[in-house]
Amino acid sequence: MWEQIRANKRNSILLLMLMAVVLGALGFVLGMAFVRHPAGGLFGVAGALVLWLILASISFSSGDQIFLAASKAVPVTKKVHPQLFNVVEEMSIASGLPMPKVYIINDPAPNAFATGRSPESASVAVTAGLLGKLNRDELQGVIAHEMAHILHRDILFVTIAGVMLGAIALMSQVFLRGMFYRSMMGGSRRRYSSNSSGGGQAQLVMLVIAIACAILAPIMASLLYFALSRRREYLADAGGARLTRYPEGLASALEKISQNTIPLESANKVTAPMYIANPLQKKGMKLSNLSSTHPPISERVKILRGMGGASLTDYSQAYQKFSSHKSSLTSVTALKSDEPVALRQGSAAGFVGRKKQARNVGDIMRKVNKYKFINCDCELKMKVPPDFKANAVKCPRCKTVHKVK
Amino acid sequence: MHRMSRTAFKRSLTIRKWPITMIGEMNCPVCKNSAMVVLELDEVEVDYCFDCQGIWLDAGELELLLDGSHVANALLKSFRPCTDCSEEKRPCPICLKKMQKISAGSESEPIIIDSCKKAHGLWFDAGELQNVISKGSLDAGNKINKLLSDIFKEQ
Amino acid sequence: MIAMLILLAIIVAVILAIVGIYNSLVRLRNQVDNSWSQIDVQLKRRHDLIPNLIETAKGYMQHERGTFEAITQARSQAMGAKGVAESGKAEGILGAALGKFMLTVEAYPDLKANQNFLALQEELSSTENKIAFARQSYNDQVLFLNNKTQMFPSNVIAGMFNFTKRDFFELENPEEKNVPQVKF
Repeated sequence: MWEQIRANKRNSILLLMLMAVVLGALGFVLGMAFVRHPAGGLFGVAGALVLWLILASISFSSGDQIFLAASKAVPVTKKVHPQLFNVVEEMSIASGLPMPKVYIINDPAPNAFATGRSPESASVAVTAGLLGKLNRDELQGVIAHEMAHILHRDILFVTIAGVMLGAIALMSQVFLRGMFYRSMMGGSRRRYSSNSSGGGQAQLVMLVIAIACAILAPIMASLLYFALSRRREYLADAGGARLTRYPEGLASALEKISQNTIPLESANKVTAPMYIANPLQKKGMKLSNLSSTHPPISERVKILRGMGGASLTDYSQAYQKFSSHKSSLTSVTALKSDEPVALRQGSAAGFVGRKKQARNVGDIMRKVNKYKFINCDCELKMKVPPDFKANAVKCPRCKTVHKVK
Repeated sequence: MHRMSRTAFKRSLTIRKWPITMIGEMNCPVCKNSAMVVLELDEVEVDYCFDCQGIWLDAGELELLLDGSHVANALLKSFRPCTDCSEEKRPCPICLKKMQKISAGSESEPIIIDSCKKAHGLWFDAGELQNVISKGSLDAGNKINKLLSDIFKEQ
Repeated sequence: MIAMLILLAIIVAVILAIVGIYNSLVRLRNQVDNSWSQIDVQLKRRHDLIPNLIETAKGYMQHERGTFEAITQARSQAMGAKGVAESGKAEGILGAALGKFMLTVEAYPDLKANQNFLALQEELSSTENKIAFARQSYNDQVLFLNNKTQMFPSNVIAGMFNFTKRDFFELENPEEKNVPQVKF
């Protein structure tokens, strides 16, 4: 665990350095192209470094906020979903970490992620679909997995990497669009004036930058994917199982998540590695197992179910037994002080029907959206939207008048 | 801002694996800017406008109720499109496109209801639903039928 | 001169290392104390929840007077208990009484449908979980601290500044160990 924390801190710094070099080089090329003098190149480097500084400080100070906003996550109070709050609190007690902020994403696809700079400023976000689909033990498993990401300091690295990648992707988009419009306008202008060599030159520069960025973004993406991918997820599974002492909860949750066929609306290539299960994965795509940011869920489930105890060593042993990869996690997971940890019994889980589930998801999303729930004595439930104008509603069934505000 | 996007909703309809009713606010297609309230009884939901007493029956809800999309689609198709209706066309509360008029009930006394062309659901003006139910256009043993008549029995 | 500088550098490095190890020992000790107080917080929370729970359930369970009395008695005993050993035993009895109560609830479908009771039940079972997890976390932190006080070189500094080994939290009666995991 400690090694993983150190590795993450090192990787974060490494990533920042790499970004500085890449941006610096880009700035130099840009400066040279515009001024055709070494001074111009240096100016470009300086500009790029300023940009890098801004990006770094943004991702450090509010990277988590950017992600939460991009995922359309809404902060919620305990009132909206007491069980979720309790489960997060349980896991924060088990891990000895401070209580993270809790967010709900208004999306029927089940998924979850954690973000933040440090354990003290961490946030956990889950989708409404996850809350509707999972029982208590499964939810605990998922939250434990996210807590393990916080414990291992995965979140800082993912956040920095994400903001950097997002900025590059955005820049390449802007340049590509700019180039597109320029060529459109240039094309139309050329019809009327033959003298457009200056415009052509700028266009060429734009073209080069756009192509550079377009090439750079996917490279960064795959770098990020590799750095993040499998090992981190396996380790978070191991850490989560250790926290709950109940790997079956997470295993069963992962199974339910993998049955889902709806892609997550608010996820994109940049945010995908953050989630507990790949939000963009399509069902039945065997090839995606090779290049995916996440290890195949079936394998993760098999490992979790094959654990003899709940310690990291138990996970490592199960990993060697069931993983298709020959590499071993032992070097990282073998804590010097990893004592045997017994498994725990699960609580009885009630079966929730499909309709009830869909209704649950809907109600959670409405609660997040600040609907007011009125339960009339005649058993009719009224769900009043926040912009409802009247001060009271009359139950259409039994004519009782209920106050709304 | 947090309203589920239309494409997400459409997808939930086409995939038919995770039916979910429209989450987020809907405005009444008749009163335009009054927000509709969701009524739930026995795990059945309808959207209700307190101003004009109109009722929106969501396609996702129909699907949930009828246990399968093909039954819901068959029900929607069983209504006859109304070609010579003079009633004002209303926007679908989900996609905001104009809905088509369809007639239900007997040939002599048709009841005109609105149906979204993209099959997002059905709109009933005040009293229309009760009329449709009483004329037996909806299956008598149907759960929606029983439920709606239970909610609105006094009207 | 150069030898002096090297010596100085070594001394500075050693002092920095000692400060670092000392700080990490202090951090661990604080975490152990924190986890311990977390157990107390959650036990107190359980005591606070019980009156509400009984109040809500009473109306539905007229024939379970004995169960309520057992809980109330176990609660007052747990609240009055002094010392770790006595308190641990009393809390164990209270947990068992609550577990029995939750099993009885299964026979009362009306109570199980009561929104208020369901909310209290979630709170109570979560509190039980939190007690178990707080104990688990306490033992984890104690393990880290004990390892540090025994292993070189941190054991030297631990000895110098009087950091002692801590005892693990263990329930005396092994049967009681299963109490917090009663199925709700």
